[in-house]
Order: sequence, then C-alpha cells, then structure tokens
Amino acid sequence: MKRLRRLLTPLLIAALVLGSLPAMATPGTALSDLIATTAALDAQGAQRDRAKIRDILAREDVRQQLLLQGVSPRQVEDRVAALSDAEAREMAERLDQLPAGASVVGALFAVFVILLVTDILGLTDVYPFTR
Amino acid sequence: MTGAFRPSRRKNARIAGVPVLVACLFLLAGCASAPHLAPATRQALPERVQLDDVPFHGQRDYQCGPASLAMALQAAGRDVSVDTLIPQVFLPGREGSVQPEMLATVRRHGLVAYRLPGRFTALLTELAAGHPVVVLQNLALPAWPLWHYAVAIGYDLSGETLTLHTGMTPEREVAFGRFDATWARGDRWAFVALPPGELPAATLAGALRAIADFEAVQGSRAALPAWRALTDRQPEWAMALFGLGNARHATGDIAGARVAFRRATEADPELAPAWLNLGQLARQAGDLADARRAFSRAAAIPGPWQDRARDAREALDTEIDA
Repeated sequence: MKRLRRLLTPLLIAALVLGSLPAMATPGTALSDLIATTAALDAQGAQRDRAKIRDILAREDVRQQLLLQGVSPRQVEDRVAALSDAEAREMAERLDQLPAGASVVGALFAVFVILLVTDILGLTDVYPFTR
Repeated sequence: MTGAFRPSRRKNARIAGVPVLVACLFLLAGCASAPHLAPATRQALPERVQLDDVPFHGQRDYQCGPASLAMALQAAGRDVSVDTLIPQVFLPGREGSVQPEMLATVRRHGLVAYRLPGRFTALLTELAAGHPVVVLQNLALPAWPLWHYAVAIGYDLSGETLTLHTGMTPEREVAFGRFDATWARGDRWAFVALPPGELPAATLAGALRAIADFEAVQGSRAALPAWRALTDRQPEWAMALFGLGNARHATGDIAGARVAFRRATEADPELAPAWLNLGQLARQAGDLADARRAFSRAAAIPGPWQDRARDAREALDTEIDA
C-alpha cells in the first residue's frame, strides 16, 4: 500500500501540474494577441469579460425568441450570427416592442375614418385613393 | 321630461366637439409642412435625381422588408431574390421584419449597412450620390401604427416630391411633407447598403461601427477595402487606422499593419490600444526596444487598457532579462 502510494503520488502531482499548465498559459497568450477593433470601440474595456458573457446570453435569448416567432431552426443560427452585439442585445431586450415593417392596418371603422381624414390632410399615407 | 332633454344635451356636446376636432387636426397639419432645407444645402444638391437602375419588387402580404432589401441589394450588385430573403429576415410571429435583422441581412450578403442620421438632407445627399435609401415609415398614426419599409430612389426639389419604390407601386411620387411626416413617426430610420469600398456621402459618423460589425460577420479580407476607403477619406482618424491595422494583420500583411498602428498613434497619441498593438507587433518582429517604448506609452495612459499595458511591459522586461 505504502509502495503504491509512493508510486502514485508523483504521478498525481505531475498530472495536476500538467493539467493546470494551460490555465497558467492563458494570460500569456491573451497578452500576445492584438486588441480587436470591436473591443477597442467598446469603451468598457475593463468589463470586457462580463460584457462578453452578457452578449453570449443575449444571443442565446434571441435564438429562443426567433424559434418562438416561427423562424425555421435551419435559419436561426445564421440569422443570429449576422447580428452585431448591440443588435443582439436590442433584440433580446425588446423584440416585442420593435416596429415590424409589415404594412397592414387594423380594420376598425373609426380608425378608418380618422386615417382617411389625416390622409387627406397629408399627414399619413395609408389609402392610395386619397391622392 | 328628462328623456326629452337628454338627446339635446348630447347634441350640444357633439357640436362643441367639432371645433375641438378641427383645432386638433389643424395642429397636426402644422407638422406635415415640407421639411425646411437650408439654402446652402439646396444649392449643393442637384435639382432632380432619379436612380433608374434600382429594380422594383412588389411586396407580397406583410413582406415589404424582404422586398425592400432585395431592391437595395440588387442595386448594389448582389444577385439575391425576394424568395431567398424571406426566410432570412421575415419574422412569421410578428408578420413583419425588424430593423436589427434588416441590417444583419445586408451584412450576410456581403454589403456594409450604414445607418443614416435622421435628417432629410442626409436622405437627399445619399440619393444625389447614387445610393438608394431604405426607409422605415409609420404610414398611419402612433396609436395604430402601420410600419412600412420602402426604398427611396429619387427626388425633385422644385416639385418637392420624393420618389419611392413602395408596396406594390414602383416610382411613386410622394410630397416631401407627407413623406417626412410618416418618416418622422418611424424615428427617421434609414440606411444605405454599399459594397465594402464605398462610403456613405452624408456622414461617416457611424461608419467605424458599421465596418467593424461587417468585419465580424464577413471577415477581415472582405472588410479590408472598407477600412482602406475610410482611411483614405479620413487620413487623420486614429480609430479607422487602428481598424485598418487589425484587418491588415488578420490578412497576413504584418508590415502594413505596423505602419497603420504607427499612423494611428501619430493621429491620436492617447489611443492606448494602438500603442499596445504596435508594441505587440514590434515584439513579435524582435524589435524589443521599440516594443518597450510602445508599451510604456500605453501604460502611461489612464483607462481600461492601463493594466494590460503594464502586464505587457513587465512580460517584455522579463523576456529581455532572460
């Protein structure tokens, strides 16, 4: 038993040291990387890591929302990837409030009359026959 | 008795309401006057512009987003159909397309999406430069919004009309006043989609971010012409030179990257990231004295990069000692 331990201990130490090496090496490699243009543009340089995590979460959130809105799963990845970080955050935070260009109006009669008048006054542009 | 009074009282209220309604409408009508153009801007712009090479695509129900995008992308030389764009930008749950995804889809097709400032002159300036402009309008009123994307393709200053490819109508002429009212209700949101070597004519205010976002999706090789164009137009713009340096480095032009970072530090000696990247490249090339000088400059600038600069200098010092 004692012999086994004597044999195992150096092995374990070696394994642990080797295992922790990449972690020790990480700051070194990060230091030799260039600063990316987007990182320099984001003023909050010191909170880069936290911002990065937030952006990853925002993208995940947008992915879920797009699926819920009926976007096909094959398309979702490409659509999320094309968004900038700021756009992904905006989508994650307020997709339901963003105007969706669609150009169809509700058919309420009162609304119809009001919009008809504003159309004639040149304020709105709903009914082509007013021109 | 009371029953006999009620209708007449209601009638009085209705009569009283009419002047109020009229007053409200006149107030609103005040907002619909044609946007004011300064005489100087008016003189700088051509009298009439019509971009005849912008193709028209009629929208199918709800799909003015994909249709407008197809027009703008094709005008910039990208061969992409409305049918390709619908699954890329249309949101079935919202029965429409949202602004961030409009810009993102432009990027996916290899063009840079530049947002325009919400000024009528910016819109006209882009048209005069030959760039069709995608606009977001609220065609109805804030209470019952009718969001709509269209493509502006021309204007006539003396006739005070804007020409739009919109909905099912190609080349529709809309009075400046009416257009500006509907555009203002969409927060005067507009963008141009341009190939990487071309820049918007109206302003370069958002260009840095637009190109950096494009580069994140399409890569540095595709973005390089955009950085080059921006630094040609703004040779003293340190952040543009910084972006050029990174794009050159990513495409293997190390010497060119060093030149760009050097120029960035000359344009703005307080731009710590430029000193850091300059030092890093000097260090990799073996010019340790140059590297140390650059890191020291970066370490002397207070701000988010100071710690990193000190670490880099320290690491370099141990390297020199060893």
